[in-house]
Amino acid sequence: MARSGAWAVWAGSAISTLGISWDVQWHKMVGPDTFFTLPHLALYSGSAIAGIASLVMVLTATVAHRTGRPVARTIGGTPVRLFGGAVTAPLGYLISGLGAASFLLYGLLDLWWHSIYGFDAVLNTPSHVALFLSISITMIGGLIVFAAARDQLWAQAGIAVTIPILITFMPITTNAFSTLSLPLDPVIVGIIFFSSMLLIVGAGLLRRPGGAIAVAAALGILQAFLWWFSPWAAVTYAASIGLPLRDGLVPAPPEVPGAVPMFLVIAALAVEALFWRARMRQLDAWRVVLVAGTLTALVVAATLPLQMTLTDPTAGIGLTDVALIVALGTPFGLLAGFLGARLITMLRATAQTTKES
Amino acid sequence: MVTAALCVVGAAPAMAYAPVSVVHTERAQAGPYAVTVGFSTWPIRALKSLDFTFMPDGGIAGTSGQLLLDGPGVKSDMRVTPLVRHPRKRDRWGLDTKSFSAPGIYFIGFAIDGPLGHGEGSLPGVVVQSQPGPPMALSWTVGSLPFIGLVVFLAVAWRRIHPGRQPLTL
Repeated sequence: MARSGAWAVWAGSAISTLGISWDVQWHKMVGPDTFFTLPHLALYSGSAIAGIASLVMVLTATVAHRTGRPVARTIGGTPVRLFGGAVTAPLGYLISGLGAASFLLYGLLDLWWHSIYGFDAVLNTPSHVALFLSISITMIGGLIVFAAARDQLWAQAGIAVTIPILITFMPITTNAFSTLSLPLDPVIVGIIFFSSMLLIVGAGLLRRPGGAIAVAAALGILQAFLWWFSPWAAVTYAASIGLPLRDGLVPAPPEVPGAVPMFLVIAALAVEALFWRARMRQLDAWRVVLVAGTLTALVVAATLPLQMTLTDPTAGIGLTDVALIVALGTPFGLLAGFLGARLITMLRATAQTTKES
Repeated sequence: MVTAALCVVGAAPAMAYAPVSVVHTERAQAGPYAVTVGFSTWPIRALKSLDFTFMPDGGIAGTSGQLLLDGPGVKSDMRVTPLVRHPRKRDRWGLDTKSFSAPGIYFIGFAIDGPLGHGEGSLPGVVVQSQPGPPMALSWTVGSLPFIGLVVFLAVAWRRIHPGRQPLTL
């Protein structure tokens, strides 16, 4: 039951990620939009699967609590009592369930939005941003669930495959700021910050040699899959319903996987080396994580322009942009390290393991 | 299997794509080429998407060119773009479900190359009125609620756990 609930929430998050990548590619390559498209079905069913799984786990925990057999904290994390104790919800499933419920509510708002403004496929509308935030909250809940059971191998695998989904998905929300006149695309800042913080969190939760590399490898596999799947699914779906591809398509990488840092494994190797030194020499872990966050952000910031140049013939990235991106690496890396370290201890606090207590 | 599923499930949405209606037209002259510009809604409101169609007299066969857009809501990468066929009205050029983000005066122009040579010209200023719906500040406030919820959750967890005071081992 513990495993099924955790993996069902993960499956929902994975389907949502597949859906967003497919949907973005659909609009780019084909065009027209209605509410009833297959990519939208993937997005909505992803949240529905995660939401139903969360609800089942909350009900199970509530029944168990009421019959005097409270579930262990390792199943979903700290039990949270709601409605005067009528409901007992494991924290992870509470968060993933609230994210899913929020997604469905904002889905209705999105329909209303489109009824006023039409089906203009832009990411940075209030309802779209709320939908992305809701999915992100569900994913965070899923991470809490895996983190609570982190002394078991299946949950460690879960952490290693949840962090890449978060790294892929969370920067999308930063499109909210793209209407502002900023010197740099805010999504680039989002990629640098979230990938650094989340890699640190993943490595810190796994707490074993190879943890950071496992996260980076899983991210690489996800990126490669979405790189192939998104355009393939858009073209195949268009052909199946008799819609033509847009004229004048330029050879650019698929948008969602194209924005995933493909050189994160270099940073992961550096994090492994730093953490190994910290273990060997009993170094101050707080400082080490701060350094690891900064180093990761600098690697991501320095390699993003290279990635754009290698993969996107349309990317007109100048030296000023490169300098700005790299300059942002240090402050956002420090912030990623600072918050990452604290998120590790917060996630560990949801369920103490015998090894750590 | 996935392809089969796409074919089965995909048949339903195909019916749902609205045809491109033209409720208002304007005429532009780009050198020797007269172009009929069609709008799927009129008047145009900021943030509201619509379909634009561009039809030179005599059709688009054997012609090519660029769409020139200018106005308060036009980003630099949209100022000059190739003229491409509308995805759902393939006999003419167009923009599908395109919105302008700010009200004001817009210029829709064309640089066309065809059998009569090269020609450039634009519509006299097209007025884009203020946005429909609630004020954007209110919409963004409602859209930000999940983020505010997440921040509150993290703040409560932070206060209860004091993560900086916990032991951290790697």
